[in-house]
Amino acid sequence: MINFTIKFQYGSPIYEQIVYAVKKAIATGQLKAGDKFPSVREMSKDLRINPNTAGKVVGHLVREGMLEVRPGIGSVVSQLSPASKDQRNKILNDQVEELIVESKRLSISKEDVINAIDSNWSLKERKGK
Amino acid sequence: MTNAIETKGLTKRFGKTVAVKELSLSVPVGSIFAFLGPNGAGKTTTIKTLMNIMMPTEGSSEVLGVDSAKLGCEQFGQIGYVSENQEMPEWMSVERFLNYCKEMYPTWDDKFCDDLIKQFNLPMKQKIKSLSRGMKMKAALISSLAYRPKLLIFDEPFSGLDPLVRDEFISGMLDITEDENWTIFISSHDIDEVERLADWVGIIDKGVLKVVEKTEDLGKRFRRVEVTLDEAAEGDIAYPKEWYLPERQGRTIHFVDSQYEEGDGKIREIFPNCTNIEMSGMSLREIFVVFAKKFMITEL
Repeated sequence: MINFTIKFQYGSPIYEQIVYAVKKAIATGQLKAGDKFPSVREMSKDLRINPNTAGKVVGHLVREGMLEVRPGIGSVVSQLSPASKDQRNKILNDQVEELIVESKRLSISKEDVINAIDSNWSLKERKGK
Repeated sequence: MTNAIETKGLTKRFGKTVAVKELSLSVPVGSIFAFLGPNGAGKTTTIKTLMNIMMPTEGSSEVLGVDSAKLGCEQFGQIGYVSENQEMPEWMSVERFLNYCKEMYPTWDDKFCDDLIKQFNLPMKQKIKSLSRGMKMKAALISSLAYRPKLLIFDEPFSGLDPLVRDEFISGMLDITEDENWTIFISSHDIDEVERLADWVGIIDKGVLKVVEKTEDLGKRFRRVEVTLDEAAEGDIAYPKEWYLPERQGRTIHFVDSQYEEGDGKIREIFPNCTNIEMSGMSLREIFVVFAKKFMITEL
């Protein structure tokens, strides 16, 4: 059984879509530290994806520290570690800048963007913990 | 050996009819390769040539590193082959059939075979001729999986199977990927079934291989685009050649961008006064249809 929500979209790599879905599941509390993560085989069979893709997903999540491998059990969701300086910078500078540039291009007001961030943020918070 | 299958200029003619024309492709070890094309495109002929059931008129192919014309027991013991019109000993019971196959394969895995029988709910005592199409295909699949082949070749495995059986079929097929050095080659016109499974796609039409590409790359570079203009466009528009099937209706222009890259700069360059651009990713099926339409146009 796949214990996180994934809805595939056409046009972007399946691997990226799953990695994002897992990050989101951790952010919203659908996946919590210590939860068992599906094996490559389970993911491949349940999601009907190439086993190579499933392997790549698990490998990536382990490298990023989101999963840890426990012998005899498989992989489990790790305890959330505080963000590194690099990770913080990436979100607070790069991704925020991208959001502002796109919003300006489409003439979306600063207020609308901040409101949207607010409501999406609390949505994720309510589901967590 | 990096490729499980490799063909070079493979050509098969029946009299004056060219069934397969100068087909060159490689199927890397560890990949699932979807060989797609409409009925009559040359898929089965290609596979029969690979499997040494037919001789090519020209060109050559290698399977598991051996020239197809020289394939023997040793290679066939590592290849699982299931075709749509699988010939089976109809008078045998399923049990007898599987025992009969077992004798031929030194690597036959009894435990794996039993697991598959359970997974597929196969009635062991029943005669093959009394089985439904789905059950027959499942029996054929087990007989080709139980010896843990390194290469699976499926010719239209899903046709005529109901969705539930297709699901079981794919599940069984994926069991083999637990082993090392597996490769799966599936020919099909059922594109949806292989959408997320195949990492490589080859599209064949009228005997000619039109596309061989990683599925991921194909998905990345194709976008359906709708551009809304300020004013209805006048006169001819010079569409770049990578924009397929452009159509214009008043202020709206539709096309398929076959060389999409992040952003919409190229579109804005050509339509500086557009008011809206909608872009959406495309399923393998949609991409396939676009190719089919484009081939028809270019052949006229």
